[in-house]
Amino acid sequence: MISFNRSQIIGAEFIDDDTIRFNGSQTDHIYNMEINMDVRISDGEIVKIEGDMKRYTNFVCPQAVPVLQTAVGMSLRTKDWDKAIMKEIGRKGCEHFAEIVIECGRCFEQALRSRDLYLALCTDPGLDQEAFLENWQPA
Amino acid sequence: MIVKFLRNKVVEVEPRKDGTLRVSWRLTDDLLKMEVNLVVQPPALEIIEATAELGRFVPKGLEDASEIIEDVEGVNIGAGLRKIVRGVLGGPEGQSLLSEAVLECCNAVILHFTRPGLEIGEALETDEERLEAVRAMVKSSPRLVRSCISFQDDSPIMKGLDL
Repeated sequence: MISFNRSQIIGAEFIDDDTIRFNGSQTDHIYNMEINMDVRISDGEIVKIEGDMKRYTNFVCPQAVPVLQTAVGMSLRTKDWDKAIMKEIGRKGCEHFAEIVIECGRCFEQALRSRDLYLALCTDPGLDQEAFLENWQPA
Repeated sequence: MIVKFLRNKVVEVEPRKDGTLRVSWRLTDDLLKMEVNLVVQPPALEIIEATAELGRFVPKGLEDASEIIEDVEGVNIGAGLRKIVRGVLGGPEGQSLLSEAVLECCNAVILHFTRPGLEIGEALETDEERLEAVRAMVKSSPRLVRSCISFQDDSPIMKGLDL
């Protein structure tokens, strides 16, 4: 049987032309947490974040919730942004919150690519999708 | 609002009859499909088998992922793992996807071993007993010290522990 299982689900909405909203959840046999964060598309800056700690291991863990606000102002386009998130949100707060924020960050460019391909297919269903993605550049 | 992008990721640890652990890691999103499988041999936690398969739109640098990943065979899950895995699988940007997948598999193996200790702590009856159980866990796992807010120097859990 399976002794440990972890699932992560990341969804992305485009709430206006320059804002992407991520909803990320992580559930495993030990932890269950959720992150909602808004990112400015033009510079990758996290402009809003909130977290919900649903299942955790000790009474100190919930003190990591306010630490999440440290992420506001950090950019997903700077070098080693993921290391900065793990240091500021993970080490000083909760590693599992940081894991979700990092996964949302990894989805940033992928979500933009996906949106643009979807829109392009709406006007040209026969589009060469591989070529489109190969030539894709962030706006 | 309809989401314009969705990613699902799952990692599973399955102990097998021969004593090894099979770790299965899978990712699927609008553009990428990826699967990594490891076999880990206790007690050294050596990765004895590693496979990878990618589909849909494969990122540049990962076209030969099934060959590249074999380089982690022989690596032990232990001190310096991140540096070793990133060193072995590093390279072009796309390949970080592969190294992070392997690291997430290894993290799941660690959590597989962590789970029973947490269950024992949960069965204790008083707050004092549970606090002592957490303190005992930190003492036996120095890697936890300052790893998160619970184990920072000013945490009530760390009070009185000279770690």
